[in-house]
Amino acid sequence: MKKLIRVLAVTLFGLTAMAAEAKLNVVTTLPDLGALAREIGGDKVDVTTMAKPTEDPHFVDARPSFVVQLRSADVLIDGGAELEVGWLPPLLQNARNPKLEVGQPGRVQASQSVRLMNVPTNVTRAAGDVHALGNPHFAIDPIIAKTIAQHIAQSFSAVDAPNSAAYDANYKKFEAAINAKLQQWGAAMLPFKGQHVVAYHDSWPYFAHRFGIEIDIFLEPKPGIPPSPAHLAEVIEQIKAQKIKAIIVEPFHDRKIAEKVASASGAKVVDFAQYPGGLPGTDTYIQLIDKLVANLSAALK
Amino acid sequence: MFVSVMVALCAIATSFAQDAASNATPAAAGSTPAAAADVEALRQQVQALTAMVQQLQEQVKQQQSGSAAAAALPQSSEPPPATTDAAPSAAPASAPALFPTTDSAVVASAPSSANAPPSPSVDANGTPNSFPTSDDAVTASGGGASSTAGAALTEPIPIAGSTGGSKTYMNISFDGMFVLAGSSARDLYNVEVGDHDPQQRGFNARNAEIALDGAVDPFFEGFANIVLKLDNDNRTEIELEEAFLQTTSLPFGLQVKAGQFFAPFGRINPTHPHTWDFADAPLVHGLLLGPDGLRGVGAQVAWTLPVPWYSQFLVAAQNGRGGTGYSFRNPGDDGVFYGRLTKDRELRGLEDFVWIPRWENSFNPSETQTVLGGLSGAFGSNDTGANTRTQIYGADLLYKWKSAHAEGGFPFVKWQTEGMYRRFEAGRGVDLTFPVAETFHDWGMYSQVMWGFKKGWVAGIRGDYLHMTDSEFTDDDVRQTRSRISADLTWFPTEFSKLRLQYNHDFMEANTFLAGRDVDSVFLQFEFILGAHGAHKF
Repeated sequence: MKKLIRVLAVTLFGLTAMAAEAKLNVVTTLPDLGALAREIGGDKVDVTTMAKPTEDPHFVDARPSFVVQLRSADVLIDGGAELEVGWLPPLLQNARNPKLEVGQPGRVQASQSVRLMNVPTNVTRAAGDVHALGNPHFAIDPIIAKTIAQHIAQSFSAVDAPNSAAYDANYKKFEAAINAKLQQWGAAMLPFKGQHVVAYHDSWPYFAHRFGIEIDIFLEPKPGIPPSPAHLAEVIEQIKAQKIKAIIVEPFHDRKIAEKVASASGAKVVDFAQYPGGLPGTDTYIQLIDKLVANLSAALK
Repeated sequence: MFVSVMVALCAIATSFAQDAASNATPAAAGSTPAAAADVEALRQQVQALTAMVQQLQEQVKQQQSGSAAAAALPQSSEPPPATTDAAPSAAPASAPALFPTTDSAVVASAPSSANAPPSPSVDANGTPNSFPTSDDAVTASGGGASSTAGAALTEPIPIAGSTGGSKTYMNISFDGMFVLAGSSARDLYNVEVGDHDPQQRGFNARNAEIALDGAVDPFFEGFANIVLKLDNDNRTEIELEEAFLQTTSLPFGLQVKAGQFFAPFGRINPTHPHTWDFADAPLVHGLLLGPDGLRGVGAQVAWTLPVPWYSQFLVAAQNGRGGTGYSFRNPGDDGVFYGRLTKDRELRGLEDFVWIPRWENSFNPSETQTVLGGLSGAFGSNDTGANTRTQIYGADLLYKWKSAHAEGGFPFVKWQTEGMYRRFEAGRGVDLTFPVAETFHDWGMYSQVMWGFKKGWVAGIRGDYLHMTDSEFTDDDVRQTRSRISADLTWFPTEFSKLRLQYNHDFMEANTFLAGRDVDSVFLQFEFILGAHGAHKF
């Protein structure tokens, strides 16, 4: 028995030591943050992501397996701004990993450096599913994504100093790629400046702002409240009156509702996703924005 | 250029003036403990000043390079979009004023600072090649800095409303739950087994709950749940349902909890009624653990095992005294429990605590499926004899499938089942006044399937069974073997409100003392939550 315990102890110790020498263990709440972490970390990190790219990020189950991931994580990247408030706190409570506390280099809160849009002046749930701190779907703006990537690089460098040169280089590479791509995306979207687009849920103010379009009509009467027939009738009238061409839906929305509105109004349904992996062929952040710009500009033509 | 310099000088002057004005004894500041804050403030001012000088130098360079200046402007920033509330009161980080001379949060049309001119919008920049790659209106650090070195990570960039912190020291919420009940039984309180279940025909307010939680200090978190309920005569009863602190930073995956809390037994017991999938408690929960569940004052240690899957071992010790320790040191109503005169006695030793061990494990059969299973026990003394003991064993299993395309957490299927066995040594009561000592072997289980078929809609069915050892001596109206089937339909208009319609059919079997009967009941439950957004445990 004693021998068995000793063998077990040595094995466990060995595993821990191996883990310590292995790659940086990074956990992200959301798939976009995971994609950015991969850009910066390259082959120096192992990234696991909790939310699926196709599911509603507000309601992710706090699965016990996430506790295990968080327990052994070196870095946690979350969106902050109350997006994960419904599921992250109990996971962190259970994981008991002091490296991930806010203020530690192992914790990156993406919202930290972002000026959030749509901060409600009057916080009331009569307005639906409001975010008191502002709209948390900000990483879709490539300029903001660069800043998040920069924070991730700083965190990785602080936690894993020997590889800091690699993280810094990866960040610079990513920044240059985004800067170059922004010219392309900007050019592709320029003809549609000022055009209105309908969305299912108000997830797109940052995208709209970046590319000069107006995404200000929603199938949901209020954030988080399912579409009602009366509201949809109103939206259909607005689409007709303003000759709006596109309705964007995310993978977890009821596409049938959008299709009904589209066929009644003459607009097209455009597949959109906030997260890399949410649409086919969008494994990286840049591929995702490529796809969004392509899908939307095709519909607006 | 001159404008920038003037603004900068004004800012410096203003800040010093305000600094001096706000500090009554500036000269003595250096020698008092309060000086730390002053030094910190000064340090920040110097930093800001340095940054500003650098920026001014930048601008001089740009303007000297003639036409380059025009191109530089759109790169530097643009006004915040109209939809952006100007509430973030800090100036853009690219213009760190020494002390803010303007505040767009309080002034509608704040004069633009030297470094943030009202620049043309994105699209007005003309050729696609000049599409801006940085935007100080959205990011504090501009995103343009090409280096990752330097900036302190642990120092959040001070933009109000984006640091993710709340402005209070605790979360406060209120949950009100009400039931309109109809039943073929006139004594609904004998049919329903939980203390928060509907107790009478008509309206019931059995659970209005104030919940508080927050960080106590860097080492502890604190929780409190205070429940107000109305009895059948509308008198208010108050109970301190939970109030405990919990460690946050113990090593080796350990966590200690102490105070008044729910015992970590099974799945239903540690949760509050408003998170339940039905309007009432399962039979095993109400009649083996107790109408209030098993909870009490005590302490608990939890340990997450260092294995690759989720595996946690918990052990709690509680006083187990009174109605919330129902099967343990509970003197019962009017000093009678299971027909015996009881003695409400003091703790004699460690064996008189209720000891509650639990081991739970979880794994994911696939990306959309989760399984969580647990084994629990509760061991302690009871009050029906001098040395009578109670043991309760439980096993629970939860399976959940949730769509990979879930919206608002729907659709899902959840199957939850719990079984319990209780060995209860019923003694002969005080002074051996009861004719016999008996040992009851009571057992039962419930199983329920919930189907979230559409956003906000959940349908469920539940089957319940409880076997109570029949006794020729013990005449007690809760010791009846019985079963129940239930079906319910719940609508969540949002996660903060719900409406639930439930039907129960109870079969109560005859025993030595009680006649059998069938009862039909219908409940309409309504609930609302105010305040903090509660997080959902799995």
